[in-house]
Amino acid sequence: MTRAPIILLPVLLLVLLGGALDDPHDSVATQPLMSSPRFAAVNVYIDPGGEPLAAYQFELTGQGAEVKLVGVEGGEHQAFADAPYYDPKANLRNRIIVAAFNTGENLPHRQTRVATVMVEVTGPVRWLASLDVAAAPDAKHTDAAISVSEGAVQ
Amino acid sequence: MRLKAIGVVVLPTITAAVAWTVVGCSVQRYDSMGSSSLRSTIAPASIGRSGGIGGQPRGSELLPPQSLPCSDDELWVIPRQPQDRAAPRSTEPMPGQGQLMARRKEGDGQKLVPVPLKRTDVQASVIGYIATVDVKQQYHNPYNDKIEALYVFPLPQNAAVNEFLMTVGQRRIRGIIRERREAEAIYREAKGQGYVASLLTQERPNVFTQAVANIEPGKRIDIDIRYFNTLDYRDGAYEFVFPMVVGPRFNPPGYSDGIGPVARGDYGASGQKTEIQYLRPEERSGHDISLSLNIDAGVPIENIDSRNHKVSINKRSPEKAEVALDPGDSIPNRDFVLRYQVAGKATKPTLFAQRQGNGGYFTLMLFPPALLDDLPRQPLEFVFTIDVSGSANAIMAQYFERISHPALTDIAVDWGSAQVHDVFPKQLPDLYVGRPVVLTGRFEGNLPRSITLRGKLAGREQRIEVPIRQADQRVETKALSAVWARMKIADLADRAAYENGIDPPGQIRQLALEHSLMTAYTAFIAVDSLTRTSGDHGATIAVPVPVPQGVRYDTTVQEAGTVRQAKDGAE
Repeated sequence: MTRAPIILLPVLLLVLLGGALDDPHDSVATQPLMSSPRFAAVNVYIDPGGEPLAAYQFELTGQGAEVKLVGVEGGEHQAFADAPYYDPKANLRNRIIVAAFNTGENLPHRQTRVATVMVEVTGPVRWLASLDVAAAPDAKHTDAAISVSEGAVQ
Repeated sequence: MRLKAIGVVVLPTITAAVAWTVVGCSVQRYDSMGSSSLRSTIAPASIGRSGGIGGQPRGSELLPPQSLPCSDDELWVIPRQPQDRAAPRSTEPMPGQGQLMARRKEGDGQKLVPVPLKRTDVQASVIGYIATVDVKQQYHNPYNDKIEALYVFPLPQNAAVNEFLMTVGQRRIRGIIRERREAEAIYREAKGQGYVASLLTQERPNVFTQAVANIEPGKRIDIDIRYFNTLDYRDGAYEFVFPMVVGPRFNPPGYSDGIGPVARGDYGASGQKTEIQYLRPEERSGHDISLSLNIDAGVPIENIDSRNHKVSINKRSPEKAEVALDPGDSIPNRDFVLRYQVAGKATKPTLFAQRQGNGGYFTLMLFPPALLDDLPRQPLEFVFTIDVSGSANAIMAQYFERISHPALTDIAVDWGSAQVHDVFPKQLPDLYVGRPVVLTGRFEGNLPRSITLRGKLAGREQRIEVPIRQADQRVETKALSAVWARMKIADLADRAAYENGIDPPGQIRQLALEHSLMTAYTAFIAVDSLTRTSGDHGATIAVPVPVPQGVRYDTTVQEAGTVRQAKDGAE
């Protein structure tokens, strides 16, 4: 891996966490009606379609419910095992934006759980995840897919 | 320029506050000489035996002192509670109480008290004068029932606490900065529902409370905290300070939002919102501490030494040193203070910048000369100060000596072509011997190679070129922005005292949330939504700490023993 992309990836992460988003790569999961606050773990998966995944950013939305971010955990692959970063400014506006990068060589190529988002939820919720970006080590965007599931790790 | 000495107002309570800063000497206790007209009922305490954060209220009264200490005394006003109103020490069994809980340590005759905090590991690195410090607290449950652990601990006054991680087994969960009340509500809800959760709150700029809920028997939960700060520079040397224990604090009469010293197990005995439980002299806990520090001064290091602890020092090169706390000196009962000097008679000012986006952040330390010898005295405007306690004599004498020898006055910065804004402190102070001036701010675009400082020394104009350096790449990316935000928050808090029309809590809250910073208005919360434990959340167990070295337990700590005896007798 060349030095330029290594430098670019952290910059990309900063830019991504500071930016807004609209992306067609959405995924949906629903949960039954709940009225009192409950805690949920939402697993987020990215499938880079055979390309090495070096960086990602997604936004998680809980439609129809009041959702509060209460923690972020890393994923199953060693490259994304560390707890990812969230955007504190977005969180001020009740938006959950999570991102991570890895400059190493051991990167996932297939679907992998990249993060588990811990939330407090009030009301019935429909989870929607949008992938803002998925990048290869050379900082080029890859055409990846995102999916979510609530509960214990699949 | 005329110098103005701002001193002590002639009020007994303020005098006591000044005296409270004196360290060392013997301790005089004032506990039962109150004026009834000054008594006031204490508000509910938020930390209780069974309630933890947001627990059951306790009642108490504070009694002001009537007499004054001699000049060698340190003044701590420790209220003794009237026997009929004091909160009794809890007689409920502790989790696992009995032989499983307390055992004798062989040899020294001290009772070893198991506590929920097993160990603290501190790993720090200093690049230039900016420190990045990682603190790992290892909590565990040595009892046979679920517990909530509660630990009141200190950090440096200017620490910008910026990261928070909770580790449950192999899983690491990043904590979220939230408005304090909201974080506390989430924590209570998670605790009540049986989830493993942790909450970090700030009681004072240098005192924090860590709560960890639903720790199951035998389980371990780690909390990682990262903070940044600029090193102190005193009397010609840098100081890296890591405080290890919270000392007793002065609580003005009628004040219930303070920090009260109580004996281990005497929950609620002080009537203060936050309590520190101290181990009795015959007790010690298994909690110990390790500390390692890597220094890269950028210039040759000279005269490195630890003031209070045994350390090992490995000078890897003239500019770099590795310092480690001696494993045999791991009882956390006094501050770790490492002092080192760097080469050169006068340390030159340098501006460190760190780019973020189209601009960035910078910090500038203007070093004072080490000695007064070459500095002429300056005329002073006198403000008479009457210190009725007499206990602050040495401090005031040192203070007046310093301010009569300014090293640079009327300081102004010529930023040249740099687009600089939000520089703190807003008003540049004069430079005095022994204390540096630290500036921090933001910039847009690019910075020039240097800026110019102007000031006066003995009435003569001085001009100092200050080179600009990009902060070393090893300095954590967020360090300068966190240091800047921390100073802006301190400035907002200061301005609130004399400026109308601003909303310091609102502005501080907003700034802290944007920069992920701990303040009195924000808190870190982490909930493991995957780990729901069964049964009641269990008892709240505070982590008792040793009294600071040099402090007498019997004159410092509130004991509720007499109350308990009276109650036991009645029963």
